[in-house]
Amino acid sequence: MPSLRLDGRRIDVRDGDTIAAAAYRAGIRTFSRSLKAHRRRGLYCGTGDCANCLVTVDGLPGERACVTPARDGMKVDRETGWPSTDRDLLAINDRLHRLMPVGFYYKVFARPRWLWPIAERVIRRATGTGTLPLKAPARRMATRFVRVRTLVIGGGVAGLAAAATAAADGSVLVAEERELGARITDPAARETIARLAAEARAAGAEVLEGHTAIGIYEGPATAVLGRDELVEVEAERVIVATGAVEAHGVFPGNDLPGVWLGRGAAVMAAIHGVPIGDRVVIVANTDEGQHLADAIRAGGSDVALVAGRVLEARGSREVSSVSVLTPEGRRAFACDALVLSLGWAPRDTLLRMTAEPEVVGAGDVTSPGRSLADAEASGRAAGRGDPVEPADAGPWPVAEQDGYVCVCEDVSMHDLEHAWSEGWTSSEILKRYTTATMGPCQGALCSRHLAEHARAKGAAPAARGRTTARPPVRAPRLGDLTGAVHEQVERRTALHERHVAAGARIDHSGVWLRPGTYGDVDGEIRAVRERVSVMDVSTLGKFLVAGREARMLLDRVFPLDVGSIAPGRARYLLALDEAGYVMDDGLLAALGDDTFYLTSTSGGADRMEAWLRNWTDRLELHAHVLNQTAQLGAINVAGPHARDLLATLSEDDLSRAAIPYPGHAEITVAGVPCRAIAVGFVGELSYELHHPRGRSIELWDALLDAGAAWDIRPHGLDALDVLRLEKSHVYLAQDTMPDDHPAKLGLDWAVATHKDEFVGKRALERMNALPLERRLVGLRFDGPPQRGYPLAADGVIVGRITSCTVSSAAGGPVGLGWLRAIDGTFPSVLRAGDVTATVSPTPFYDPEGVRLRG
Amino acid sequence: MAELRDRALGVIVCAADASALDRLVPAGHGARMLRVAPDEIMAVVDAAFTQDVRRELADRVAALDGDALVLDVSDGWAAIAITGEDADRTFSYLSALDPPEDDGFAQGDVARVAAKVLRVPGGLAILVPAYWREHVRARAVDDAGTTEARG
Repeated sequence: MPSLRLDGRRIDVRDGDTIAAAAYRAGIRTFSRSLKAHRRRGLYCGTGDCANCLVTVDGLPGERACVTPARDGMKVDRETGWPSTDRDLLAINDRLHRLMPVGFYYKVFARPRWLWPIAERVIRRATGTGTLPLKAPARRMATRFVRVRTLVIGGGVAGLAAAATAAADGSVLVAEERELGARITDPAARETIARLAAEARAAGAEVLEGHTAIGIYEGPATAVLGRDELVEVEAERVIVATGAVEAHGVFPGNDLPGVWLGRGAAVMAAIHGVPIGDRVVIVANTDEGQHLADAIRAGGSDVALVAGRVLEARGSREVSSVSVLTPEGRRAFACDALVLSLGWAPRDTLLRMTAEPEVVGAGDVTSPGRSLADAEASGRAAGRGDPVEPADAGPWPVAEQDGYVCVCEDVSMHDLEHAWSEGWTSSEILKRYTTATMGPCQGALCSRHLAEHARAKGAAPAARGRTTARPPVRAPRLGDLTGAVHEQVERRTALHERHVAAGARIDHSGVWLRPGTYGDVDGEIRAVRERVSVMDVSTLGKFLVAGREARMLLDRVFPLDVGSIAPGRARYLLALDEAGYVMDDGLLAALGDDTFYLTSTSGGADRMEAWLRNWTDRLELHAHVLNQTAQLGAINVAGPHARDLLATLSEDDLSRAAIPYPGHAEITVAGVPCRAIAVGFVGELSYELHHPRGRSIELWDALLDAGAAWDIRPHGLDALDVLRLEKSHVYLAQDTMPDDHPAKLGLDWAVATHKDEFVGKRALERMNALPLERRLVGLRFDGPPQRGYPLAADGVIVGRITSCTVSSAAGGPVGLGWLRAIDGTFPSVLRAGDVTATVSPTPFYDPEGVRLRG
Repeated sequence: MAELRDRALGVIVCAADASALDRLVPAGHGARMLRVAPDEIMAVVDAAFTQDVRRELADRVAALDGDALVLDVSDGWAAIAITGEDADRTFSYLSALDPPEDDGFAQGDVARVAAKVLRVPGGLAILVPAYWREHVRARAVDDAGTTEARG
């Protein structure tokens, strides 16, 4: 016979069993211990609403045993109690409960402060459920998007009737937590569900069984969680038909194992064939009592059906007797199971999550206790879009004595009274102070009690409502919620596989994957400074700006004098925002009188495109902006032999006259058409070869092959960081701050202040009229510096190091850093930890720029 | 089960005055003319006809707007086809976009990156900037359960 292991014990499993059914048949009565008092918890609702039967299944905690199918070989562990759930030494807490009234934690551990961290550790070890499987591989949930006319949540009579009717008016999706009709004990109800399901499917409705709607959001958009997928449903209307959960009665002993809600008990007896006890007392104030009695009797139990109010249940390990106030007076019954059918709490959390008129209820969720015919009529009315019926929550067993209101959080009626007397006089703040409704069941059983308590105490209408409903309705796993959200979307250049094959360490550089180093940073630097090297710079933002007003656009947007850039020439480009702050930088090349090629930083490309398109529209200029970042690859060939290398692969004129610095030309290299742009970021003779992305590999390979004559090697970001720093070129964001204007960065030379207009001009004029309070400076150090270190003058911190390196080309440790003026003067000698820093002219390497001009 | 394969498509961008594009006669060779913005058309065509369509569009639009820009940008796009009976359902694991009808196209997020989606024989073609090719392929296999087509 198939079997599972519960806490190591072998338990037989029969066809159709849930974990709870198999365990209960094997004699298990205590399924968990309560959160704080460690009281025994047995099966109670049997419908997945309460948290009494949470177990760990095959290492995953928080599974509801009462609705989780049992499988052969399953490993099930109860989650609470020490050393075991059956023998829990922490049950001493129950004896001390009166010493730990509600609000205990807030008060007792407030002083002395040192006590709280200790108490917190003890409390955390003593409470909670389950253990997170931190070493288990993360599960990645697939997300599916569905757009339908009507989403029906709930596959009961009302839900299926709504689906069958609504399907005449467009697409319908039904989300049902379990298998349709799987846990219905009433034969007439099962027959009705089968009939309506067939009708709905025939009408075209799609039914997702095993899918739970966990939240309704603005839109309305609904998150529906299946076993293997998270479905995001956008529906024009949502019909919530989630039914009702049976009322939770409050009386002394109401949480003892052996106390059941009616429908769960009937399922255990009639569907699983497991008698819930030998002598069962059913206290029923609804019209379901006789049906429950028949179902439970069929399971083999001796049943007494009583109408009245439960005064008390008694027992130690489980219930052994019950006192009921009947119309005939107080009566006591010996029993080993007590079944309650006292009323209903609409399962309306989803309905209360939103005020959107497109979300309506149908069936028991609006008026519990309907007949089958009434439920079907309600569903059909909702499916047709009839006006929403007024809700009627129906009878409710108002708590008149002590007992547990919230079984998840061990909050009793006494606790509510205590909190009320302390001044927490509304349902919302009662919730926060007592934590009632904040447990795993999210108030399914107790939220109505809280509201009723506030009402009975005479609270104003605004203070006695149901507490706010928020997602999720059911507790999902964290992995379920991630559903494709956690991933980092990565961009790869066409040369990615070449870098990997060359043994490069691949780094995340913003949204791009880029080589950090090929294994020898110093060797890469030497290749650039002494011979020749290549770097994949395809990540640069690349834009074609063309049209009869393209020059006007660029001149109006950027602070450089675009009118003075002749075709064939290029210029360093600063992009300022309206506040005059530096947004991005790059290069602007004039391809013709009205055609320009613009590069931006790798991370700034998307913003640059939006920026240019926005200004084109705002200024109503005739110019086209085409983002070519994805279309074009770019390889920087840098080093004293850069021109020599290109000469071996190109027949074009590569002289300084043909490609001046800064300038560009269209050339062919190794048969690949390239836009060669003479640049100077690394401070050597350099040509960026912009070319069709599809030919990047061909070009890269040809350059490396031909470059072997100069012992070429590629360089990565680590080398680039040193090379650019030796030339004191800034990295935006690393060396800059969001409110930097060009003068603070020493880049005011890149601003054509004589122009009438450019974005940020007026702001710059105002800022330039003020004394400079902070600026980026070059620094030389007498020892190895550390990035981020504060810079101090006379013991006062006046700045910090933003970039630094130890550079042989620059003659020692150098860096960049922020410096604040003191009384209008910038200090020149500073301390950075144990190191002395001296403000130094920049660039540190080849200040005349002879080398980059070749 | 849906299949995933790269698809060789040519992509030509035609940027011009909106009024000129309104009057532009579509290119031949089965080119799909996607109006991605008021002043921009993206023509998608079997890769073999890319240059024919580029020339055709350049000639036609020049007559309507002398300042128009027509460029072959095929290198910037990766086209990934999802084919098979489950293509639409598979696509719904990647995007909240409605799969386009026969002649239409959709643009928006697919696997969380900007994309254009076309109906092609047997399924859907997803066009994304080339630097996202591997990302979208990985998501289509891992999340949507497609299989890489052989051959």
